[in-house]
Amino acid sequence: MSDNNNSTCNEQVFDKFFKSNSKLLRNYIYYKFGDLEQAEDIVQDAFIKLWNNCSKVSIDKAKSYVYTIATNLGISITRHQKVKFKYRDYITQRKTDINHESPEFIALEKEYMEKLKNAIADLPERQREVFLLSRIDKKTYKEIAELSNVSVKAIEKLMHKALLTLRGKIGNI
Amino acid sequence: MLDDKKDDIFLSRWISGELSEEELLEFKSHPEYEYYVKIMAGADALNLKDYDVEKELSALKSKSSYTAKEKSNSVIKLWPYIAAAASIAIILGIFLFNPNESFSTNFGEQLSVTLPDGSEMILNAKSLASFDKENWKENRMVTLEGEAFFKVKKGSKFTVTTKNGAVSVLGTQFNVQSQNSFFEVTCYEGRVSVTNKENKKILTAGKGYRNLENTDPESWIFDIKEPSWLSNTSSFRSIPIKYVFKELEEQYDLKIKTTEINLETIYTGTFPNNNKEVALRTVFSTLGMKYSVSKDSKTVVLEK
Repeated sequence: MSDNNNSTCNEQVFDKFFKSNSKLLRNYIYYKFGDLEQAEDIVQDAFIKLWNNCSKVSIDKAKSYVYTIATNLGISITRHQKVKFKYRDYITQRKTDINHESPEFIALEKEYMEKLKNAIADLPERQREVFLLSRIDKKTYKEIAELSNVSVKAIEKLMHKALLTLRGKIGNI
Repeated sequence: MLDDKKDDIFLSRWISGELSEEELLEFKSHPEYEYYVKIMAGADALNLKDYDVEKELSALKSKSSYTAKEKSNSVIKLWPYIAAAASIAIILGIFLFNPNESFSTNFGEQLSVTLPDGSEMILNAKSLASFDKENWKENRMVTLEGEAFFKVKKGSKFTVTTKNGAVSVLGTQFNVQSQNSFFEVTCYEGRVSVTNKENKKILTAGKGYRNLENTDPESWIFDIKEPSWLSNTSSFRSIPIKYVFKELEEQYDLKIKTTEINLETIYTGTFPNNNKEVALRTVFSTLGMKYSVSKDSKTVVLEK
C-alpha cells in the first residue's frame, strides 16, 4: 500500500480506471460469451480482484489484468454450457427519424434488422466479437487487436470474414 | 459473392476507408456492393443496452469482498497497539451486532422485501423471515416461519429453510408455507428442490408439494401464475379445516372457538383477505356451520 498518486490502491486512480474501462470490458465479455447480465457480474468480480491485489498490479498493467481475469471467469462459467447468444433483449435499434417513412418500409426494415441481429448472433465467437467491437463500440482495428493480444492483420481478416458470413446468412433482401 | 477477390481483408479495408479510389470505384459497380452497404447501415444502427458506470461503481464498492484501503498508513505505524485494539473492537462489534436482517408481518399484513441481489420476497400475514445480509453473496439463505412467495434472481443456490424442511433453487418463482406441522411448496417458474427429513423432491413449474401432520406427502398440478394470496384471496385444496381456521385467524386477528367441531373435516375453497364479513360467511356457510361474532369482534364462536 502506498499513497502514490499512480498506485492502483489510490481510490481516485482506481475509480477513474473503472470509469474509463468497465463499459468496454462489459461489452467485450458480452460479445464473447453472449450473456449481458453475466458479463456485468464478471466485470464486477474482475475489478474486485484488481482492487484486492492493487498493490501487486500497477495501473498500466491493470487493463490487461482485468481483461485476462474477466476472460478466464467467462471461460470457467461457460465451459460446461454452450450458451446461445442472447441478443434480442439487449441490442436495440438506434432511434432514427423515421416519421416520413411509409409503414411498409418500416416493416421491411424491422424484418431486415431482425434478420441481421440473428445473423450476428450466429457468427462464430471471434468474428462476432470483432464485428461488434468495431460497429457498436466504434473501436479501430488497432484497438481491438490490443484487447485480445493479436495482430491488426488478424483482426482485419476476422472482420472481412464476419461480413462474408453475414452476407451469406442474410441473402438477398 | 465476393470470392473473386483474392484480398482477404478487402471488406475490412473498405469499412475503415482504406480502399484506394480505383478499388472503391470497382467495388461500387460490383453487384454485391449494395448488400454490404445495407449490412453496414443496419449494423451501425445497432445499439447496446446502457451501462451506468456510476451505478456499477457504487455496486462494486458495496460488495462485501471489496474492502476499503487505509488512506494513511503512518497513523497505523505510530499507533500499532491502538490500531490492534481498534480492530479487535471492530471484530467483536461484528460478532456482537447481529448481521441478520429480519422482517415480520402481523395479522392481515403483507410485506414485500427486496433481497440484496434483487430477488423478491413477499411475506403473507403473520410470518417471519430473516437472512444474513453480510454473507448474502456467498450464501443466499432465508429462514422462514409462515408463508412467503419468492421471485429469485438467477445466481448461486438460493435456499429457504424452515423447521419442516428446506427448499432450494437457482432462479425461479415459488411459494413456501410452513406453520407448525404444515408444510406446502408450490413452484410457479423454473425448478425447485424440496428436502425434509424423509423426502427429497424436485418440483417443476405448475407442481405443488404438501406434507401435513400424520399424512403422507402429496403432490398435485395447478395452472395459476402466482399464489392467490397476492391478490388478497386465501385458497385451499382439500385440507383439514383447522388450517383454514388458522389462516382466518391470521388474516383477521381473530380467535375461533371450535368446541365440538371435527377439525379434520376436509375443506376446498377460498376466502377474501380484505373483507371479514364475506370471508366468515363464505367459509362457515359452505361448511354448514352457524357462527356468532363477539362484541369486540375478536372472537368467533361456532355452533354445531
